[in-house]
Amino acid sequence: MSITDSDTPYADSELVLDVLQVGPAVVVRIAGSAGMREAEQMRAALEKLADDKPPLIVLDLSSMEFICSMGLGAIIQSHLRSRHHNGQVRLVNPQPAVLDLLETTRLNKLFQIYPSVEQAVRT
Amino acid sequence: MEGICHKRMVIASDLEAARQVENTILDEVERYGYSDASAFSIRLAIEEGLNNAIKHGNGYDPNKTVQVAFAVTPQQVVISITDEGPGFDPARVPDPTCDENLEKPCGRGIMLMRAYMDEIHYNPCGNQVRMVKKNS
Repeated sequence: MSITDSDTPYADSELVLDVLQVGPAVVVRIAGSAGMREAEQMRAALEKLADDKPPLIVLDLSSMEFICSMGLGAIIQSHLRSRHHNGQVRLVNPQPAVLDLLETTRLNKLFQIYPSVEQAVRT
Repeated sequence: MEGICHKRMVIASDLEAARQVENTILDEVERYGYSDASAFSIRLAIEEGLNNAIKHGNGYDPNKTVQVAFAVTPQQVVISITDEGPGFDPARVPDPTCDENLEKPCGRGIMLMRAYMDEIHYNPCGNQVRMVKKNS
């Protein structure tokens, strides 16, 4: 997995998290596969972002090809951590297979899903 | 048997070994021309089954192994995953889609295997899961 905020590369390339500050919101573009091997690292990365207490974390899932239940758990952990400071986690534009997974697990009821980062940040 | 990939693998209780099994099965799935949606389902079920075996069954114990048997044909994929744990009763696992469980970070693996595979069966002890996905 790698996490970049322009100059913070990690090793491996199964999963890439690009972090961007947009006003008060933190936008995380998640690309690749969030499988069992990457989920723990993703959880740690998202919780670390949440610990900075941004009012809004936007997870751009448009380039995420795969996610397993452990990856979903990482997103939920981020949501729980953000809620401690009344923050929110929003999801953006999941690919059809990932959207189906969110619907199957009913996590589309827990998270608001937006068609674009702009709308998620603006709303 | 010609045209059928039937293998048995014994792996250590770690996620890297699990990934190698997953790749082996998915290579066969791709070779037989399964759809992207089917491949996604099979990958998801493998990950959930192996994670359950390694984490909950074997407790990441390096002295315990996971047995994976699989058969890939043009018609279907059959995968069996067995751990060395005491087993469990899948009927007693809470429904993760209930409102009161939506915020729980864990507990979706079995539900996802049921939702994405055509068949899923546990042995009476609960330390072996057998899953089938038809090539539709």
